Amino acid sequence: MSRAFPRSVLPRRTVLRGMLAGGIGVVIPLPRMAGMLNDSGTAYAGGAPLPLRYGTWFFGNGINPPEWVPTTAGVGNAWSLSAPLMPLQPVKSYLQVITGLTNKIPPDPAHKGRPAAALTGANAGSTDVQLPSIDQVLAPILNAGSTPVLPGGLHVGISNTSGAGALDLRVSFRGPNASNPPEYDPANVYKQLVTFGRSPTTMGPAGPSPELARRKRALDAVLDDAAALRARLGKADQLRLDQHLDGVHQIENQIAVLSTMPATPTAASAKLVDPAVAYPNAGAVGSITALRSKAMSDLIVFALSTDITRVFSFMFTCSACHGSYADAGLDPVTFHEDYGHRKSPKGLDYATKGFATGVAYAMSNFNNTLSAMMSCADGAGNLLDNSVVYSTSCTSESQTHSGNDYPTLVAGKAGGLLKTDQHIRLVTVPPGTTGAPNGDNQSKVPYTLLTSLGRPQSPWGLGDSQASAVLPQMLA
Amino acid sequence: MALVAGGCVGKVLAPGAPPSASGSGAAGTSGPTSGAAGTAGPAAGAGGAGTTGPVTQPVASLHKLTVAEFTNSIHDLLGSSAPVPAQLEPDQQLDGFRSVSASVVAVSPAGVSQYEAAIDGAVKVAFASAAQAAKVLTCVPASATDAACPLAQVLGAFGRRAFRRALTATDVARYTGVATDIAAGPGGGILLGLQYAVSAILQSPEFLYRVELGAPSAADGGRTKYSDFEMASRLASLLWVSVPDDALMNAAASGGLSTQAGVLAQAKTMLASPKAHQSMANFANDLYGMDPSSGTPLTTTFKDPAFYPNWTKTLPVAMEQELLMRVDDVAFGGDYLSLYDSSTVFVNNELATIYGLPQVTPDAFRKVTLPAGSPRVGLLGAGAILASNGLPQRSSPTLRGRFVAQQLLCKVVPDPPPNVNTTVLDMLPAGASVKQTLEAHRQSAACAACHALMDPVGLGLENFDSAGTYRTTDHGVAIDASGVLDGMAFADEASLARVLRSHPQAASCFVSKLYEQAQGRQPLPVDQPVMAGLSQRFETSGHRADQLLLDIVSNDAYRFVEIATK
Repeated sequence: MSRAFPRSVLPRRTVLRGMLAGGIGVVIPLPRMAGMLNDSGTAYAGGAPLPLRYGTWFFGNGINPPEWVPTTAGVGNAWSLSAPLMPLQPVKSYLQVITGLTNKIPPDPAHKGRPAAALTGANAGSTDVQLPSIDQVLAPILNAGSTPVLPGGLHVGISNTSGAGALDLRVSFRGPNASNPPEYDPANVYKQLVTFGRSPTTMGPAGPSPELARRKRALDAVLDDAAALRARLGKADQLRLDQHLDGVHQIENQIAVLSTMPATPTAASAKLVDPAVAYPNAGAVGSITALRSKAMSDLIVFALSTDITRVFSFMFTCSACHGSYADAGLDPVTFHEDYGHRKSPKGLDYATKGFATGVAYAMSNFNNTLSAMMSCADGAGNLLDNSVVYSTSCTSESQTHSGNDYPTLVAGKAGGLLKTDQHIRLVTVPPGTTGAPNGDNQSKVPYTLLTSLGRPQSPWGLGDSQASAVLPQMLA
Repeated sequence: MALVAGGCVGKVLAPGAPPSASGSGAAGTSGPTSGAAGTAGPAAGAGGAGTTGPVTQPVASLHKLTVAEFTNSIHDLLGSSAPVPAQLEPDQQLDGFRSVSASVVAVSPAGVSQYEAAIDGAVKVAFASAAQAAKVLTCVPASATDAACPLAQVLGAFGRRAFRRALTATDVARYTGVATDIAAGPGGGILLGLQYAVSAILQSPEFLYRVELGAPSAADGGRTKYSDFEMASRLASLLWVSVPDDALMNAAASGGLSTQAGVLAQAKTMLASPKAHQSMANFANDLYGMDPSSGTPLTTTFKDPAFYPNWTKTLPVAMEQELLMRVDDVAFGGDYLSLYDSSTVFVNNELATIYGLPQVTPDAFRKVTLPAGSPRVGLLGAGAILASNGLPQRSSPTLRGRFVAQQLLCKVVPDPPPNVNTTVLDMLPAGASVKQTLEAHRQSAACAACHALMDPVGLGLENFDSAGTYRTTDHGVAIDASGVLDGMAFADEASLARVLRSHPQAASCFVSKLYEQAQGRQPLPVDQPVMAGLSQRFETSGHRADQLLLDIVSNDAYRFVEIATK
């Protein structure tokens, strides 16, 4: 059951006076932090089960289906990873590879409608996506009964080179014209997370820092003014204002958390390492490097494991990303053009091999994230036991922009809801068959995830990419 | 007005239909247009020729400040020493303009947090001492009850500029309440109280967004007109890329912006300020692809050092600065279109090397005239244009041609068709020149219609490599930069520059781009007669961009919410 975004229920003045006077006890809903687990760490101290988490892991520029699709299908030993998927070997037991699905939106324009459909269930409209993306639909569902300090998720990106008129540099959408742009600098993510991991500066012997109360006092005035403004606006602008105010409420909630945190660092915060220390040579922010994707993966794992957030999006490369995969040993050129579209002056053979190298490189970075999650204890198991991560791209075959055999990977057991360690092949034609769309609707995979995680059953998406049936083979 | 290739597989626009919204100029996507949240885009059924009276159309009424506007506004309100960190939610573009995106976009929660951090950092510096605060406020109260310098008066005056309207008594009480409470709290004091009151004002959506709703004007037959204060906001945003100053707000308060004559008078005064140079620099950043919101800003564009050893971290910065200087040189008092075929350049030593000009000591930017007969002429010879539309290891005539078509001639270039086959290039021998490679585009019927819009012009620029350096051969093949643009032949970049200057679409395209930027929304059919009138005046004025700005802001279309049709 989903809940609307919780607002502060305490009258402003009560909280203000209590805090400013330095010590009147005030009841404030606490988020679930690592310090509140039961002794065995298998549930919260109150007995509630650990939360489920969701992540979108997006890579641009598609695949080469005949290479991508594993030659054998089935469960466990019955299937093995194809060459581009081989870097995921360490997490194979948590992986579902689903092939033979078709993205039902035509590539008109390419790299825009298809990723929109894969992420939101609907084609892009004339100005932007039409619907929220899967991570934003799931956030309130997964947050139910709690108030993580980042309720809308943690959104990171590696390459900040766009795809020139594709879906732009975004994979998380709260709605049309309301995206969650990714943060590319691990230092900025770290700065934010470390605030919630320890608070020696925000909690002194006399209680929380007075600066917190001052900030809240100012924000209360902001909300007050916004209420008056809202009454003057039309519906479309009211929606935009409300979306802005979600951010203000989020800050107020964070202040509430910081005001009650213990003075000593929590156990979890000890595991948060400054990425500038752990990965000093991660390359210029916005460039594509494995070291920075590792740094971001570590930060996401920390945020998930301390329940700072339950949702994330990781935009490794955006739709039709024009960045360079030099870190993979390829020429420092536009991967999309020279390899994806085989335009390298060095010839078709070189470009094809280079493209294969690039896809495998993307998957090795996906493995960075999944392995980091698998190595993080969570309850009786690890984060991947209690999560689901969905990975897809902006096209299937990169040269023709075919939508058949659409790249679709799911990782994680979602607390036992999902089956893992399987390749589900859903067509009988050979991989990479072009021409008329020949597979079932790819939206069924995100639909299956949404449904199993608690979205009430009803059609998801619009038009040709709308889904209303799960793929039962994915479910445990 | 928009030209569409007839044979393209991409969608052909119906006559009078607005251009597509996507930054790449795609001719439309399949599937329903957005209706879920009522974006302020073109509406089906917006009035066109033949309807009478004002027409209600969705308009841009809540404009998020762009990063440039926010930064300038903070500096104007808190003093130029107030730090504004770089960590702000980046602008996006819609139809190639940040201002158009700003009219529909919603800020993410992370973005709102970034605003708080930026504003808190700036106000801390601005209120670090009474002396600092005196630069920001009309006077500095000694306490919350100072009668000689009342809190209400001070915050009301500050809030008037930040919100671009007079504050009500309720508004003022809201902020004096913040100041009083915090001044009385632990570690308080009046400076701290003022700091947080100002922070609350600046974090308010009434500062972070321009609210422009209009109201029925009896004097104008009931048409919905922007109020005086709203006009002050609009003028300051367009002409100064910032908030109004006190003089402009005073003029608004006394009704000075309710007539065309009044708006014109104020706008002339504003154009005389040095701040007005921001207007054209801001516009040029979008039009010439320099703003980071374009997704591939020149300053972070990668060029393979094996091919372009002269491509340093500083060269693209110099190139962008040069282009902004060229724009500024022609936009105020000059013929703007001379940008296209002028020999005036601005160089520091690094850029001078690229342009084949001498070094000077000490190094500084200077205005230079390229020698007569120079192969490098005008805008299309500018490093910023040549390099931003180029690839890491080779030039891209297609990208350069698309820039000219879309940004300078307002042609609609559809995206590649679905399932485009790009393997046609496999048949070419290794080491083929770029020109030979592109021939394949024009031999295949499926590719020719659209590429004919782009490649010939781009090939005219092949004497300049992807870093903007002049060359005479490519892969050992002598470069032939001749071609034809809309029936006008050219032999090389220099003659292409002159063809571009005299192109029949050059003036009207520039006008429509500036009009779109100013309105913060894509043009509708009702805007066509307005833009046609503006284009006529632009021609007769000798392509004066500053006069065009005056003509836009004093036009009915800019002063009234709906465009009246006759």
